[in-house]
Amino acid sequence: MLFAYIARRILWAIPFMFAVSLIAFALITAPPGDYLTSFAATLAQSGDIVDEARLDALRERYGFDQPFLVQYFHWIGGVLQGDFGISFEWQQPVGQLIWERMALSVTLALATLMFTWAVALPIGIYSAVRKYSVGDYFFTTIGFIGLATPNFLFALVLMYVAVVYFGSDVSGLFSEEYKDAPWSLAKIGDLAAHIWIPVIILGTSATASLVRIMRANLLDELYRPYVTTARAKGLSEFRLIMKYPVRIAINPFISTIGWAFPQLISGAVITAFVLSLPTSGPLMLQALLAQDMYLAGAFILLLCCLSIVGMLVSDILLAVIDPRIRFR
Amino acid sequence: MSLPARRLTASLMLSGAIMPLNALPAVAQEATGQAPSLAAMVEAGSLPPVAERVGEEPEVVEPLNAIGTYGGDLRIGLRGSSDHNHILRVVGPQGLVRWDPQYTEIVPNVAERFEVEDGGRVFTFYLRDGMKWSDGEPFTADDVLFNIDDLVLNEEFAPTPPRYTSGGEPMQVEKVDDYTVRFTFKEPYGDFLAELASPLGQHPVLYAKHYCSQFLPTYNDNVDELIAKNEATDWQNLFLQKCGDLEIPARWGNPERPTLDPWVIKEPYVGGTTRVVLERNPYFWQIDTEGNQLPYIDQIVAPIDQDVESLILGVIGGRIDFGLRHIDPPANRPVLAENREKGDYHFFAAEPPGGSNMIINLNLTHKDPDLRELFNRKDFRVALSLGMDRQEIIDTVMLGEGEPWQHGPFEDHPYYHEQTAKQFLEHDPEQANALLDGLGLERGPDGVRQMPNGEPVRFQVDVIPTFDPVWVDALQLVEQQWAELGVDMEINPMERTFFYERTSNSNDHDAAVWNAKQSWVAGQIPQMLVPVHHDSRYGIAWRDWYLSGGESGEEPPASIKERLRLYDEARGMTDPEERRKTMLEIAQIAADEFEVIGVAKAIPTYGIVKNDLMNVPEKMPSSWYYATPSPTLPQTWFWKDE
Repeated sequence: MLFAYIARRILWAIPFMFAVSLIAFALITAPPGDYLTSFAATLAQSGDIVDEARLDALRERYGFDQPFLVQYFHWIGGVLQGDFGISFEWQQPVGQLIWERMALSVTLALATLMFTWAVALPIGIYSAVRKYSVGDYFFTTIGFIGLATPNFLFALVLMYVAVVYFGSDVSGLFSEEYKDAPWSLAKIGDLAAHIWIPVIILGTSATASLVRIMRANLLDELYRPYVTTARAKGLSEFRLIMKYPVRIAINPFISTIGWAFPQLISGAVITAFVLSLPTSGPLMLQALLAQDMYLAGAFILLLCCLSIVGMLVSDILLAVIDPRIRFR
Repeated sequence: MSLPARRLTASLMLSGAIMPLNALPAVAQEATGQAPSLAAMVEAGSLPPVAERVGEEPEVVEPLNAIGTYGGDLRIGLRGSSDHNHILRVVGPQGLVRWDPQYTEIVPNVAERFEVEDGGRVFTFYLRDGMKWSDGEPFTADDVLFNIDDLVLNEEFAPTPPRYTSGGEPMQVEKVDDYTVRFTFKEPYGDFLAELASPLGQHPVLYAKHYCSQFLPTYNDNVDELIAKNEATDWQNLFLQKCGDLEIPARWGNPERPTLDPWVIKEPYVGGTTRVVLERNPYFWQIDTEGNQLPYIDQIVAPIDQDVESLILGVIGGRIDFGLRHIDPPANRPVLAENREKGDYHFFAAEPPGGSNMIINLNLTHKDPDLRELFNRKDFRVALSLGMDRQEIIDTVMLGEGEPWQHGPFEDHPYYHEQTAKQFLEHDPEQANALLDGLGLERGPDGVRQMPNGEPVRFQVDVIPTFDPVWVDALQLVEQQWAELGVDMEINPMERTFFYERTSNSNDHDAAVWNAKQSWVAGQIPQMLVPVHHDSRYGIAWRDWYLSGGESGEEPPASIKERLRLYDEARGMTDPEERRKTMLEIAQIAADEFEVIGVAKAIPTYGIVKNDLMNVPEKMPSSWYYATPSPTLPQTWFWKDE
């Protein structure tokens, strides 16, 4: 039953992916000019001369003079064979550029998600159970501050304080010596020592909103008759809350995992930019600015894939956790 | 303050024109000193002795203040991607010739000396005997021929850049002997040496034949295998991946590629990286006056920060040893000054070669006939200039630094032209209004003047806010000042690529803001005097006409045509005095026409340098064409012993 459901979902995802890839490609090619215009603008900024004949020759070689659909099918045809094309800016195959950055992005996103849940769930439950207590007000206030402060600003302030008052550097995900080193246990340790800063920065706002959601949902449940019944039957308060109302109230958490994936990766662009994180965000932003279309296209396509995979994960988890959901 | 660039004497600029520049006899110099790490390798037998590595004719460089000691890293900060030219600026465009530290004359570099003959048609370069690439292979005339014939003049690789053509024909290069090459042009080309000294003039010595030829189908029958192996799209892409080009990131992306630079790539600048490291070139061909091989510093280390704020934090936190690019807007000065002690650095002055920080180009080749008609009236442009209160702009948004200026070289520069720089600078709304009244532009009921067709006098000024943050602030004041004249100007901020597409490519703009930091010396393009460049936004259609040889674009008026003719002549001149006179003649015509409206004189900026870093000048010219700081020879910088 479950497997058939998953298989059906995956099959449905294929035409959807195609539609999305077409839209993504259209968006990337939508701005006026192309990579070469952008290249010329960059050269112009450094005071250089741009030779039109040279640009036209490159335009022809890169196929920018072809109609949109020809360019699209050329691109997607390559992607289906695992060839994402070359990055014009770096003259490197896109495949070489994206994987490590995507992996770090996913690591960061997962770490942030876990942090968010680990903090938001207990606080949300506490706030609901001890409604209007000092603790509730305390967490609510902190939560609102976290929600209201833009992540990038928080990052900048933290960096400034760290550099000016503590003389330490909090940017990046690795120490100097591990930046380009091959992967090793020591490098993973170094990553762990650095990753908590962006995790906290990125996690604060999401935590705040999840606390509120948890609190509100749980409050709805806490005064239902079944809770009262269970309490009357002598179930311990802790077991009672965890076993029934929390299980229901957690539903929105699970159903938003699908959004959380791409949200964490794309939503973290500016923060990653400020913190100089070697994740996909800054590279994607630069690719978009430079109209480096195959590189940008690969990132956008992967983000779309992640959304679809995320939704799938949400649906499956929901089905497992919430007994009210049945497949048909 | 005396700018080094201001001392520029035109007579020195092309002194190589008739006589060989290098007056000293080419004495073979013995190199005796070398970095301890290299000495150890020589000891171990894995590297030839230093005298052999530098060749018989290394360049002998006199360090600025002191003979240095070996060791240490020089940390610079790169910003995000596309900051490859920052590496180029420090490591240097190691071309056949270079500018001297004062930006006053062109001196030999990779070439040991050169001669200019036949009235500027023939340039002969004498290479250094026994000089080597960074992998130890000999560097000879064959490498130069490979660069020119197989790449620069190879249409399949890329069209020939205009700087290597003259009279419509590409230059010819011949090998006289292993260490002598001769460049021949159809017409006199006095500016050629200055072109070679600029960052884009390195083509003749960029690629090592013994390595890079393997990526050309002409030399390698099996190039297809390499293409497939490297996932390249074609041999051109493969070549760029492996050997780079002057101005793309891939130039610093391959540690295997031999170079002539003082430092060579160790951790490459590729898409995913977060730092770049270059290490000393064991075969570098310069020595100090005591026979020590340069560079003194072991490594250049460049972590990549995505944005400028975190670069600034890097400076304050002491993570950066030398910084100029990106950090030098006036707004950053207070915070950098405040933290000098904490970061253990001091400032040096970075002086523009002349010109203006901000100019406004009205589009004189506008597609709309009415606006075009209006913009082409000189009285209208004069009125706009007189209607600007430049002092207010300087005091309000430029922190009081600078003085009213149109454009062009500074007062003590040999190319200084008073009228170009100083006409119509006074704030005189009364006269401005009188001029506008004289044009028949009546004010409408809302106070905005109207064109004869009844449309209001309204236009947009395109500007890139991220390029120079001062521009938009200044425009806001200009907007108010012009509104008092009854001219409705709107600020139109936009992204860089879009700006370029709209202005330089499509000619869709009403007006645009740019800078004009230049002194019109050889090697710089006087784009505000003659429309020959994408930054000549007052006459893009005329530029198209000039560049296409009259095939596209639009035929310019007589005054522009005359200037284009004179400019072509000036570029060919080998006599510096004659060239200067011709350029000033062009400036005179341009000043009479008054096409370009300037705001304020370009003011010196600043960079930071660690207190213990020696041989760094207290001030240096700041210009792309000079490629700051490489002509001050970072290979002679060193760390003071504790």
